[in-house]
Amino acid sequence: MADLLLSSTEKIFIVHGVQDDYRSDGRSNIDYRPMELETEVVSHASGSARLRLANTDVLVGVKTEIDTPKPDQPGLGKIEFFVDCSANATPEFEGRGGEQLANSISNMMQRAYQSSQAFELKQLCILEGKQCWKLYIDILILESGGNLYDAVSLAVKAALFNTRIPFVKAVLMDGGNVDLQLSDDPYDCKHLDVGCAPLLITLCKIGDKCVVDPSAEEESCSVISVVVGVTGNTKSYCSGKEIDSVKSLERKCSTIGMNGSGSLAPQTLQSAIMQGMVAAESLDEALGQALLRERQENVILKKHAYGFLK
Amino acid sequence: MTGHVSIRLASERVNHSVSSSNVLPRFYTPGEVITGTQDFMRGHGTYAEDDCLKSSVAGVMQKVNKLICIRPLKSRYVGEIGDVVVGRILEVQQRRWKVETNSRLDSVLQLSSVNLPGGELRRRSVEDEQMMRMYLQEGDLISAEVQSLFSDGSLSLHTRSLKYGKLSQGTLVKVFPSLIKRRKNHFHNLLCGVSIIIGNNGFIWISPLMQDLMIEESKDEINNYESQSVSKSDREAMARVKNCILALVASKMMLDDTSIMFAYEESLKYDSVKDLLDPEAMLDIAFLTQHKINNIMDE
Amino acid sequence: MPLDYKRFNGPEDSISYKRFTEDYIKSYDQLYQELIDENGVRKDGRAVDEARKMFAINDVVTQAKGSAYIELKQTKVVCSVFDPREIPHQNEFSQLGQIYCEVKFAPFSCPRKRRPHAPEAEERALSVALRKALEPTVCRHLFPNFQIDVFVYILEHDGACLAVAINAAGLALASAAVPIYDIITACTIAVIDGKMIMDPTEAEEHLAIMSPETQTNHGLITMSTLSQLRQITDFRQIGSLDVDCVTKAMDLLQKQCMKIVPNIQRVLVSNVIKYHKERKKLEEEAREREEALNKKMEEWKLLLNAG
Repeated sequence: MADLLLSSTEKIFIVHGVQDDYRSDGRSNIDYRPMELETEVVSHASGSARLRLANTDVLVGVKTEIDTPKPDQPGLGKIEFFVDCSANATPEFEGRGGEQLANSISNMMQRAYQSSQAFELKQLCILEGKQCWKLYIDILILESGGNLYDAVSLAVKAALFNTRIPFVKAVLMDGGNVDLQLSDDPYDCKHLDVGCAPLLITLCKIGDKCVVDPSAEEESCSVISVVVGVTGNTKSYCSGKEIDSVKSLERKCSTIGMNGSGSLAPQTLQSAIMQGMVAAESLDEALGQALLRERQENVILKKHAYGFLK
Repeated sequence: MTGHVSIRLASERVNHSVSSSNVLPRFYTPGEVITGTQDFMRGHGTYAEDDCLKSSVAGVMQKVNKLICIRPLKSRYVGEIGDVVVGRILEVQQRRWKVETNSRLDSVLQLSSVNLPGGELRRRSVEDEQMMRMYLQEGDLISAEVQSLFSDGSLSLHTRSLKYGKLSQGTLVKVFPSLIKRRKNHFHNLLCGVSIIIGNNGFIWISPLMQDLMIEESKDEINNYESQSVSKSDREAMARVKNCILALVASKMMLDDTSIMFAYEESLKYDSVKDLLDPEAMLDIAFLTQHKINNIMDE
Repeated sequence: MPLDYKRFNGPEDSISYKRFTEDYIKSYDQLYQELIDENGVRKDGRAVDEARKMFAINDVVTQAKGSAYIELKQTKVVCSVFDPREIPHQNEFSQLGQIYCEVKFAPFSCPRKRRPHAPEAEERALSVALRKALEPTVCRHLFPNFQIDVFVYILEHDGACLAVAINAAGLALASAAVPIYDIITACTIAVIDGKMIMDPTEAEEHLAIMSPETQTNHGLITMSTLSQLRQITDFRQIGSLDVDCVTKAMDLLQKQCMKIVPNIQRVLVSNVIKYHKERKKLEEEAREREEALNKKMEEWKLLLNAG
């Protein structure tokens, strides 16, 4: 992010506001700004989502390909994250400018999705040891208005929720080669189980406290932020009858990392992690509700793409 | 303790446009011929070619006697002498400050056009030059008046009045300069206990009510005042004003003290200030404000 | 990954022979039993909360301004720090000095696969992590517009390589007389099946990251601290842990980081003493030489006077 110039008194005002748990736009320290979400915006991807959070705009497309599993994990599929910071977002991303940020986001996502308790890679297995699905998750930063980690993780989860994988009708073994027969019907496909996929929560340390979803002004008052990846609750992503069959799991940290050049006291880190868990809960629930609502709408009405016109 | 999160779907997107009673003006697009004759003078946003005056931006025409200008919505600030502006110090230079005022070029604040402590008619000494950073440093916000225009169009500012000068605690909201209504007074103490400076350049400064002790008291006390925490009620009122301004801007409504105050009154039906961040609430407030303004106009 | 054609790269589809050994296909439970027995004793005889013995020396690379070598049994890391220099290709003035970190694995350092010469994602991530850990440590305001280069080479990797790299870099910075606020120490903890395992080996790390069938806690945490200032400069977790577990691990890590500080201090002090002794010895020798010379002069003067 660009270094925003702020006067010392403006900074004092922001720091005191965070201390009082009342920020300059009336939010408390764990409130997010309103977001807008749309899934299935890209026609050529297996799943896609676009999320707008204040001035941050993220587009995620999921492409599926068939690959051979890793020899040491024969029963698991693969998932890979790529982030592209387009120069459209800010001129700073021009050339190799956005590379470091892109790397750190994709790294963080990869780490957050690493555990099977965060994302079950077994559901991507086709034939153990021979064939599996590989998900390429391409994340495009269309506009960068701060709080990228949170926006990216939300959009990725929405895109995965939207992803359809065709059913494999038959698997034939021909010598050492595998022959797959996929269903011709594009609607004959399965959805992924992404209920427990993690969300990243950035906690920006301002003064002695931490805030979620910082505005650009708030970000420039802070030298360090903690990113916590918290696994989701499958229950929020099921509708109707399915709810009873799913058991609720405890939320866990799937990754923790730190950003920025500062350091923080152990107590602050602990309270930041706790705060992240609390924020993740409401964030995860809100995302689940929005996604279910959209899925339901698409059943009733024909899908109408709204796209990028704002 | 739970956080407030709202995720809306694209299908629930809000259209922010609020109909006003005025008839829509004629819009010009770049390259469009405005007038064929040469009897007119070429103003901003236009160029002359083939004996025609053509528009170089998309916007509405503004005609003052023979001068024709095209004003786009998103123009940068075009300064006029006597305008009140809010600006941010970018650089401390030789005997002057560079100030960001959202105009095409950075504005200038001369050391000779500020009030230094100790009387207006004091000569500027070498010490003063060396103390410039003590007075205003990079990042500081000031309110000022446009003193004159340089030939290249950049502005020269002055703060030679007690109402101008360095701004203390508060928040800055940036809006399009074309949304600011020109008024006699741009300093307002709103009834809700918030004072705002509506800069002509589109920078709006919101701060708790100024206490008068600032001007007379010693430097130490000002510093003390600057680091004091703003009370929660003030903070809430400020946040409400800020969100109201943003709601009006989202619907592209003109801003002055009346429209802001109307919006504030309408917003009071929402208990929590953060609810005003929701697009529906923003539209609601803009709509009701427009309604109120129309009523007054009719009367 | 672009290949470096100047070097010999094995055939593209070559795989390690270890894939065909029995070790390779062991299940989670088998691996678990192998690493920790029912009494809570690990394969190398350590208790669960026992760290490996550390060996550290500094000034091993004579050409560098400061350097360090740290060994935790089979994890061996060498780090060198070079003089601050102006930041190359920079057009804007930066108030704070920068730290450039590069972590590199030796091609033969890892037990599972050969490391290519071209930098890979893991190395880059480690470099970023190392920089993140060091940035709050160094008094960066003292050399604006300059950068300090920190290079870490992992000669052998047997777990906790980031923690060792941070320790080595801290020691190297101190011995290079780069001003730092406090001695930085780091360590790693692995959580396997809810058990906290201090200073894990590579096999234990591998198991910690592997996902078990059950919903138990598993994961890996590396933390670096400034013990005197009570600050955490970097904290990296992976896996799936509940909050209590993270808190507990944090306490253990903090204690372990405190334990490392005296060791680093001792290395630094002993180094100073060594130099001091050497200098004394040199001074002594110089004085002796001068005395001998003076004596000779006297003799010659006598001879001259006599002649």
